Amino acid sequence: MKIALCSSYVPFIKGGARNIVEWLELMLQEQGHHVERIYLPQVDTPDLLFQQMFALRWIDLSMADRIICFRPQAHLIPHSHKILWFIHHIRSFYDLWHTPYRGFQDDYKISGFRDALHHVDDVGLREAKSIFTNSRVVAERLKTYNRIESEVLYPPILHPERFHSAGFNDEIVCICRLEHHKRQHLLIEALRSTKTPVNLSLFGVSSSSEYLHSLVDLISELGLASRVRLDNQWISEEEKVSRLSSCLAAAYLPVNEDSYGYPCLEASHSAKPILTTTDSGGVLELVDDGVNGYVVEPTPLALADAMDRLYLDRARTVAMGTQASEKISAMRISWPHVMQRLLQ
Amino acid sequence: MKVLVVNNMAPFVWGGAEELAMHLQSNLIISGHQAEILRIPFQWEPSRRIPSQMLMVRALEVANVDHVIALKFPAYLLRHPRKTLWLLHQYRQAYDLFDAGQTNLPTGSAGHELQSVIRHGDLQAFSESAKIYTNSEVTRKRLRKYNGFDSEVLLPPVNDPQLFPGGIAGDYIFAGGRVNGLKRQYLLLEALALADQRVRLLIAGPPDSPEDALRLQELVERLDLVDRVKLDLRFLPRAVYASYLNQCAAVAYLPYDEDSLGYVAMEAATAAKALITTADSGGILGLVKHQETGWVAQVNPEDLAMAMNAVYTCSEQTSCYGQSARILWESMNINWPETINSLLQ
Repeated sequence: MKIALCSSYVPFIKGGARNIVEWLELMLQEQGHHVERIYLPQVDTPDLLFQQMFALRWIDLSMADRIICFRPQAHLIPHSHKILWFIHHIRSFYDLWHTPYRGFQDDYKISGFRDALHHVDDVGLREAKSIFTNSRVVAERLKTYNRIESEVLYPPILHPERFHSAGFNDEIVCICRLEHHKRQHLLIEALRSTKTPVNLSLFGVSSSSEYLHSLVDLISELGLASRVRLDNQWISEEEKVSRLSSCLAAAYLPVNEDSYGYPCLEASHSAKPILTTTDSGGVLELVDDGVNGYVVEPTPLALADAMDRLYLDRARTVAMGTQASEKISAMRISWPHVMQRLLQ
Repeated sequence: MKVLVVNNMAPFVWGGAEELAMHLQSNLIISGHQAEILRIPFQWEPSRRIPSQMLMVRALEVANVDHVIALKFPAYLLRHPRKTLWLLHQYRQAYDLFDAGQTNLPTGSAGHELQSVIRHGDLQAFSESAKIYTNSEVTRKRLRKYNGFDSEVLLPPVNDPQLFPGGIAGDYIFAGGRVNGLKRQYLLLEALALADQRVRLLIAGPPDSPEDALRLQELVERLDLVDRVKLDLRFLPRAVYASYLNQCAAVAYLPYDEDSLGYVAMEAATAAKALITTADSGGILGLVKHQETGWVAQVNPEDLAMAMNAVYTCSEQTSCYGQSARILWESMNINWPETINSLLQ
């Protein structure tokens, strides 16, 4: 089948929004499909938004048997067999409207833009033959704001069979960007209050040197240099697999994220429990407290207690790891399922 | 520097321009830059939709990019304060092909209006570009003649020269590249029917359409050439293409009025193979000097048959022409580091 994968992007910015597209592309090609990936640049400035949406309406992809659209406003591209794997709205005009993250005035002009955008989206979304989302959170938003039903289709990681368990050491690992909203600082603070000799390893790069330095300072201030490893780099895929295979558990505690996050999948495929917090949003679609990890209050004391439990109650830790791996199957997070749904 | 290479995309079709963009990207990265390719879908049929697609490109917003290198119409209409064109061709059906009556634009006033829209768009794109390079002398002259813009010729390097060391001459003439009416592989078959029995021909490359393949297959049958021709009509793995080329006696390539030197010809020269082409093949004549680096035949089967015979008549001479082709090509000093320096000036 000739399939066009359509998404918007900002040149030179990499991230999850590209992974979902490019991994699907590889999987479809493995199945023998003829795939074309179409990335179009988009700037979300309100004054420039509508001319860019016109551009999308003028794209002719009639030679494709079907198109699959991801990041907004790619869902506006016209096609007789349009499938959406919708990952988010232009959020400033939707769920972030009533928050400080909106980033512009709520004046007559901008609210006019917002209403027009909602109207355009309502129409564009309804042109699709089927609509899938990457999480329940996003499905809920489609229902709330656009009054449209969708099916949650969880995005898998590439080649999950690479990940495996090779036992449990004393180390909790956290492999994701070093950012304030990913809260590595909270993990470091928690370590101070642990009663067991559990260790912490943080891997990732930071977009601001400020947060990185604050973490370095915090570690030395609390005298935790011997128990915390902070590695400011993207570790290789091989090292990631190896770290996760031998760790005690994986921690991932973003502030109210849309989806469960690839770090949680990597941990689950490695049969390791996940340590997260009650305000982590989409992560809670995957992690049930006491089943495949611990979900605790976002405080140093609560996290320290969970870390000690992971360390002390090994039988339960191992059992939760097994559950984590099984949860992936139960939620049908797999490429065969994704392709069956997208190509039905 | 963050460099965005901007090219068209005919969805599900891969060709020379796509390869060029890809190699430009990798060589930019080798030179220490960040580089990505933006491929903008473009369909020239039906022609009445060309203006909206021009507007589409014009309406796109690009942020987080320091320098744009644009290759083709309408992709080069993209707005950016630091834009360099490396022009592979304009929309020829609004220019020279329009004059030649080979256009997909409608006849009468509708066609002239479309032509004028395209030319105005081009005028704007060319005016706002910091620098214009063209990929051949033919393109440079065409740009000068039709749009009044001066440009500098920047010939595209061979993408993977290490694949073409050459080799011992085999017993066949190799005709590689895309298979279609404008590349005129059928003419080679008609010539072969008139040439000596010992002349062998290998035609290998992707046909543009099933009809293009069928036409050659039927011709081989009809002219009773089955024993002397091998057709390998598909998109060839690069290694297969290279081995066909390295082991041939000579290369035949006779596109109609090609814009550039042509990869087939540049790769043949890299491999020190003598070349057969025709007097109307345009840019190819930059590498094929009659009885120096090969043979420039008139556009008829009889003259071509004589050139094909000559390949076999004196193999020392053929090999000598091949060496001269390589020397001529190397004297042009066309390589990636120089090319990137020019494009980012």
